[in-house]
Amino acid sequence: MSGRTLAYLVVRLTGLLLAVLVTGHFAVTHIVHDVSTTDASFVAHRWSSVLWVVWDGLLLACALVHGASGVWVAVDDYVDVRRRRPWRSVLVAVTTLLFALGAVVLVVSAARSAG
Amino acid sequence: MSAAQGVFLGAFTVVVLAVVGFAAVVLVSARRIDGGGFVGVALRRMARSRRERAEAARWAFYAHRISGFGIFAFLCLHVVDVSLYAVSPSLYDDVHALYGTAPMRVFECALLVAICFHTLNGLRLLAVDVADLGLTASLRLLGGVASLTVVAAVAGSAVILGPVT
Repeated sequence: MSGRTLAYLVVRLTGLLLAVLVTGHFAVTHIVHDVSTTDASFVAHRWSSVLWVVWDGLLLACALVHGASGVWVAVDDYVDVRRRRPWRSVLVAVTTLLFALGAVVLVVSAARSAG
Repeated sequence: MSAAQGVFLGAFTVVVLAVVGFAAVVLVSARRIDGGGFVGVALRRMARSRRERAEAARWAFYAHRISGFGIFAFLCLHVVDVSLYAVSPSLYDDVHALYGTAPMRVFECALLVAICFHTLNGLRLLAVDVADLGLTASLRLLGGVASLTVVAAVAGSAVILGPVT
């Protein structure tokens, strides 16, 4: 399988998952509950449930991979070939850092909520 | 306003400016590369026959790209502001209080529009590939995407803006 085919499949599959994960996340935090009530105690309660920890972990991973793939293509379209490398490095660095931050926060907070 | 709220609003301003700048790049490049980004020209073309209205698919592409970048840019900020919870729940509450203010609720409505359009249009693109749809069917689906986005955005915005109106 070529890199292009793999990228195509990854974007479509994460997109399909995100169609459920993102709309679910937005609906719960803005429609079902008012956003002003989603404070720290709401987060603590939510992350005491394995379902929401898995949901948010998947959401974090899929959204970052899907979003970074999209920006990668946009960089290809709008940035001159000689200047692509630094833009790509920034994109990969930011995405990796955010994933690491989000994953650590999720694990630490879930452990705290459970214990 | 606390220092943490100030930092959040500063970062939020950067996100908004990045999205506006990105949209400008997309639309200026459209004018240069893709044969026109002028609204007037697009409207004239839209008045033509169905087959020539494939123009709409091109605009859907720009809207998809800009909405996607907007969601990604906000995601970057959102991961950081939710991470404050692990540092200190009271710090999280301090920054999170901003989400309930009227201006941020207006932004949340815009975010809802972006999410609805990007999700539905993404599913349309998936359907076009999986079911090998032609031009007419894909444009019909695009009409459905636009209508559903408007309905969901109006209904959702009424709920989001309810507490401050």
